[in-house]
Amino acid sequence: MDLIFDALREAVRLLRTGDGDVYSITARTALITGASTLVASLIGLPIGLGIALGRFPGQRVLLAIANAGTGLPPVVAGLFVAILLWRSGPLGSLGLIYTPWAMIIAQALIATPLVVSFAAAGVMSLPPSLHLQVRAMGAGTGQYVWLMAREARLALLVAVMAGFGGVVSEVGAATMVGGNLSGSTRVLTTAAVLEVNRGNFGTALALGLILLVLVVLVSAVLTSVQARVRRR
Amino acid sequence: MTAGPALELRDVRVRRAGRDVLDVPALYLADGETLAVLGPNGAGKSTLLLAAALLLPAAGSIVVLGEAAHRGNQVRLRRRTATVFQDPALLDMTVLRNIEVALALHGVSRPDRRARAHEWLSRLGVAHLADQRGHAVSGGEAQRVSLARAFAVRPRLLFLDEPFSGVDHATRAALTGELRALLAAEGTAALIVTHDHSEALLLADRVVLLHAGRPLQVGASMDVLARPETEAAARFLGFSVLGLGACVLLGIRLDGVTERAAVPPDAARLDVAGAVGVVERVEAGSGAGRLLVQLASGDSLAIALSVEALRAPALVVGSQVHVAVDPSRVVPIGR
Repeated sequence: MDLIFDALREAVRLLRTGDGDVYSITARTALITGASTLVASLIGLPIGLGIALGRFPGQRVLLAIANAGTGLPPVVAGLFVAILLWRSGPLGSLGLIYTPWAMIIAQALIATPLVVSFAAAGVMSLPPSLHLQVRAMGAGTGQYVWLMAREARLALLVAVMAGFGGVVSEVGAATMVGGNLSGSTRVLTTAAVLEVNRGNFGTALALGLILLVLVVLVSAVLTSVQARVRRR
Repeated sequence: MTAGPALELRDVRVRRAGRDVLDVPALYLADGETLAVLGPNGAGKSTLLLAAALLLPAAGSIVVLGEAAHRGNQVRLRRRTATVFQDPALLDMTVLRNIEVALALHGVSRPDRRARAHEWLSRLGVAHLADQRGHAVSGGEAQRVSLARAFAVRPRLLFLDEPFSGVDHATRAALTGELRALLAAEGTAALIVTHDHSEALLLADRVVLLHAGRPLQVGASMDVLARPETEAAARFLGFSVLGLGACVLLGIRLDGVTERAAVPPDAARLDVAGAVGVVERVEAGSGAGRLLVQLASGDSLAIALSVEALRAPALVVGSQVHVAVDPSRVVPIGR
């Protein structure tokens, strides 16, 4: 029991003083997770819309791949990116391994199938009559996609939230391609694992609490956006 | 105004799962004319409408407002028409914006959109809904908005796919009347899919009866609905189809060439001096019903009766009745 109270006390102290790079790690986490979610959204939303609205060969296969990708183990994604970016790997000359860029790439790889799958499912769940009506109104391809995306905007936001949720608490890939380097690639999850290994439960708890607050904050922001979108 | 027909179909076919679900050798819709497509469920009515509205790939020639449709001009041609479906399919935005979006897609300038949208919401009696969300209005109101959206773009050709089958009887009656007035006032040609004979009769100049994807009969509404030419058309219109034996029993004289006759239910009656039959089935509808009587020849004769008359104790399944028909209403038919 003492261990828990000591840990909580240490967590509060760290949060109050900002010691142990807590806040720089938090900022880095927000940046890397935000960037990977952005990349995954920029890639995943158009693909999801394309799968849901287009007619092309291999459409079902693509959707099946995206759906399967939602269960992609982060460690496997991390391994794949690590092999690609390893110094002797195909993209080793870029020198990205153990940098935040490698973490963004790996996390985007994890989040993209989630965004694609949720976005496609959201747009596909729109009533078929709506698709027909919009086309019957004389919408060109771009207008059709825009109007259907607008109709499915809440589902698309959920897709982005799913992508964010998929990477914010991820630790395997982040460690594998980032290396958990202090001041460079250490994020809340990898730092928490390190502190537990060292027996610094207070620090680990503080990091865990901050991660929780970060998730709640981002969810609150997205939920408020969702509510505003709904009213529009 | 277009010089030729508003719509012309030639050898239009739609194939699904290896078979033709629509096969229309020729069909036209004159400018300003209303053509109703009637047929049983699965006859291909909606498929015909979707193909004609360029919303479904189809083989053959479709000429819309004088221009032959092809892959490259379908969007442009759709912008000269409008379509109203059974589901109003309003977008998740205000009612006013719903109409403005349609007008924007049709290239109407921004300043004109609002005025046109308000004008048509007023004409359809839903101006008070302008600021409500499309998803928040009732089914009848939504269909009024859908009609306003369609007419606001001033189409020369309007497609309507069972537009009122999702609304209650009173709203349907009111909307049918209003649609008729709007079509006449705007001079818009319309292709309307319906399974309601009275709706077709009220709205359409001509009717095409569709069966298994093929036109059975095309002609003036009154002619088609009163004088079916084939057994399938007669059965769909609710006529009894009688063979030679039944005709003899009922005193119907055929021309010697045809061997079958169609009798509308309201031309048959219970008559003590008539032929003997056995009540086969009693069918009640809204306000009226039908009595199905099996004649000695084995044919069934439908008699239109009020629900009150159908409640008579003698009219139960298996009881014996006497029936007669009005010979002047009997229609000789081919197979």
